[in-house]
Amino acid sequence: MIERKVDLVVIGSGPAGLAASIKAYKLGLTNQVVIEREKYLGGVLPQCIHPGFGLKYFKEELTGPEFIQRFIDKVEEIGIGTFTDTTALKISRKGEVIAVNKKLGVMKIKSKAVILATGAREKTRWDVKIPGDRPAGVFTAGLVQKLINIEGYLPGKEAVIIGSGDVGLIMARRLTLEGVKVKGVIEIMPYPGGLQRNIVQCLQDFNIPLYLSHAATEIRGRERVERIKIVKVDENLNPLKGTEKEIKCDTVIFSVGLVPENELVSEIGIEMDSNTLGPVVNDYFQTTAPFLFSCGNSLVIFDLVDYVVENAETAAEGVNFYLKKGMKKAEERKVSFNKKIKFVVPQRVTCLKDVSFYLRVKKPEEKVFLSIKEINWRKYFQKIKPNEMVKVNLKREELLKIKGEKITFKLVRKS
Amino acid sequence: MSKFFLKPSLKTDVVIVGGGVVGCSIARELSKYKVDVVVVEKEVDFCQGASKGCSGIIHPFVTPFNSLKGKLCVEGNKLMDKLTEELDVPFNRCGLLFVSLNRKETFFLFLVYLVMKWRGIQVKFLNKRELRKVEPNLTNKAKCALLFPSGGVISPYELTFALIENAQKNGVKTLLGTKVEEVLVENGEVKGVKTNKGVIETSYVVNAAGLYSDEVAETAGVRNFKIVPRKGCMIVFDKKLRGYYRHYVAEAKIKQDPRTKGGGALLTVEGNPLWGPNLKETGSKEDTSVSRKDIEEIINTYNVLFPDFPLKIITCFAGVRAASEKGDFVIERTKVKGFINVAGIQSPGLTAAPAIAKMVTELLRKEGLKLERKGSFNPYRKRINKLTDYPPEEQDKMIKENPGYGRIICRCEQVTEAEVVEAIKRGAKTLDGVKFRTRAGMGRCQGSFCTPKILEILSRELKIPVKKITKKGGKSLILLYKIKELLKGA
Repeated sequence: MIERKVDLVVIGSGPAGLAASIKAYKLGLTNQVVIEREKYLGGVLPQCIHPGFGLKYFKEELTGPEFIQRFIDKVEEIGIGTFTDTTALKISRKGEVIAVNKKLGVMKIKSKAVILATGAREKTRWDVKIPGDRPAGVFTAGLVQKLINIEGYLPGKEAVIIGSGDVGLIMARRLTLEGVKVKGVIEIMPYPGGLQRNIVQCLQDFNIPLYLSHAATEIRGRERVERIKIVKVDENLNPLKGTEKEIKCDTVIFSVGLVPENELVSEIGIEMDSNTLGPVVNDYFQTTAPFLFSCGNSLVIFDLVDYVVENAETAAEGVNFYLKKGMKKAEERKVSFNKKIKFVVPQRVTCLKDVSFYLRVKKPEEKVFLSIKEINWRKYFQKIKPNEMVKVNLKREELLKIKGEKITFKLVRKS
Repeated sequence: MSKFFLKPSLKTDVVIVGGGVVGCSIARELSKYKVDVVVVEKEVDFCQGASKGCSGIIHPFVTPFNSLKGKLCVEGNKLMDKLTEELDVPFNRCGLLFVSLNRKETFFLFLVYLVMKWRGIQVKFLNKRELRKVEPNLTNKAKCALLFPSGGVISPYELTFALIENAQKNGVKTLLGTKVEEVLVENGEVKGVKTNKGVIETSYVVNAAGLYSDEVAETAGVRNFKIVPRKGCMIVFDKKLRGYYRHYVAEAKIKQDPRTKGGGALLTVEGNPLWGPNLKETGSKEDTSVSRKDIEEIINTYNVLFPDFPLKIITCFAGVRAASEKGDFVIERTKVKGFINVAGIQSPGLTAAPAIAKMVTELLRKEGLKLERKGSFNPYRKRINKLTDYPPEEQDKMIKENPGYGRIICRCEQVTEAEVVEAIKRGAKTLDGVKFRTRAGMGRCQGSFCTPKILEILSRELKIPVKKITKKGGKSLILLYKIKELLKGA
């Protein structure tokens, strides 16, 4: 058994993990390791071969592999210790990480701090309760993306995509380019789940029908998928009689959202946010276990990798701050929000630095103000949608104006 | 699948038709004796029918007590401890809680209590306070309950695989993907069975063909029963909820559908809460679909018991009960010498299986089969060693001995490559074969992450192309094309 002592363990080598690792290294935390369960670094990005990455961070448009390669090159250049094909099995309350690897066996890594960058998993057909048979040919969009772009296989010839999340939209285009007939994208809500640019570039440009306000009701097929049943729904998502329709296909792909993966820390008992399904963090992305920091999609589902990198770098600064100076917990203020908002991250602020808040609304709204009462701050939005994350930057000086222990975000209609 | 055809000269003493828990139990029981046994299963793996689609409950009793299933249930329950110990199969005697929610049900429970005492079945009465203590999350409407400590839970597929692995070790031969088309009868005696792969000569046939046992009996000319397929749907919840309740919990409903015991809320041996089954008459023996109505019905039924239960569904599935129209088991010699029906095995078939095996062995003896104990019989089988069952020091040794233990394939259930390879060595040929032997793909991501890795390992170990790998045999192919193939006009 290998035992090591380090200052920092980063779990996950996707954009969040690598960005955090590099930033921490630059801040002087050179005694660190990165653990990756796949055989290669990069997390999900190596399979995201489409462009659209890095517009904000690098100010140029890159593909997923291009974007992440810049981070991989940097990690290799400065010589950060990375372990691929290595899975962390446990993190103890004292920060000891147990990981396994074929060649090295069990590794016990004692660390002063841990950054969780474990990403997300996809919701399945059962998360959205689509009943019927259980034949071969039912996939999640990310799995199909991996099978095509990494493994080199196509799932079938005729596909229907359920849910209009970004991965599903991108796969609709990818499948079409491979000669697969995409017979439709089914979305239960009256608006799409993915970014507008993907609706245009992935569906409209390829004449793929988007069925808004439609629900999948049943998957049928004995051995392999044979068909799917769909129905139109009203504004309360109830099926409308007489609108049932069957689509023949051999493949059904679910793109119904992502869930932050935090199974590794479920035993530590840190406070979790039931809205984001990630940990509750302060503005240094520190969880309620002081040694543990969280960033990327395991914290909250982002829609832009640029935000992921930004927040991972802040987490690295947090680790540095924590290890070198310690952090005073008492000064944290709680973030709250009104009913029209789904979540705000971070959930606590220290008021020690400038803060970027990330939030999503529950429903599309028009002509609204996003306001923070305590500091008399507000911003007008002509349109605001759940599928586009809102970022709010606040200066420390503004935050210091807060008198009480709370900071409240409100979304209100313009009166 | 192999293109191997049986030579016309394949001979054996006994053919068992059907590789479910009943057929495999009989095979294992017969492997204690000096007889040649062949198990013939039409699917590409064992445990593909009703055995796979059941909840896994080990019943303390069923009524009527004097029915065949009533007797075999109590007997089978008693045999379960020794059997699961020999076969290294996880078995949890969690106890069955029969809960009263109103005054009428409480009165009913008192009657049940008296009957059980008279019948000699272990039972304990729990008052409201005692009940709260053992099941704090149960509805506060619960008045009292009866606890049957001999009730338990097992993994039906793990048990079936263990039985057949142990039977194989003791000399039983198995033919998968082999369908019995006809039982060959001459002058009122069994001569053999005709399969899609050739003829097997035999004097004894045990018909444990589950849903198709009536059709197999028909070919022997002794169809005196009919299988009425009855579907039962179940919901599996996230393991994180494992501590929510501990027993198998069911409401003491007075008006009970006579065709079912009504299902319950249980915790699988792996720790997933499982609710169900419900009951649906289905015209089809193959219909294992789950409808929205089924899901709602099950949730409504058990929400009454656990009103605040977080409904984190992992999957839903259904099984089709191979019930006979008479309602009882049909285990008997027939007018054809050497042909024994083991049919109509619905619930409590899993509990009764070890007792059924013993009964069938005696019927074969009466039928004239010479049964002499085999000195070399080895009753033990070891389950697939799981990395995460051990502390880190042991894990390190395991990886040093077998590096495959150092690679996690299924993150949700923490299954290693070594476990997947071992499952393939033990007979898994499909994605489901690996899944049901190791749990890879059974967790909350439902195979989204591990599928490519398992396909790679199956392809490597079985030396077959990835495109040929199926979910569960037949045409259930996972990946139909390579990239660029469709563009080239495939």
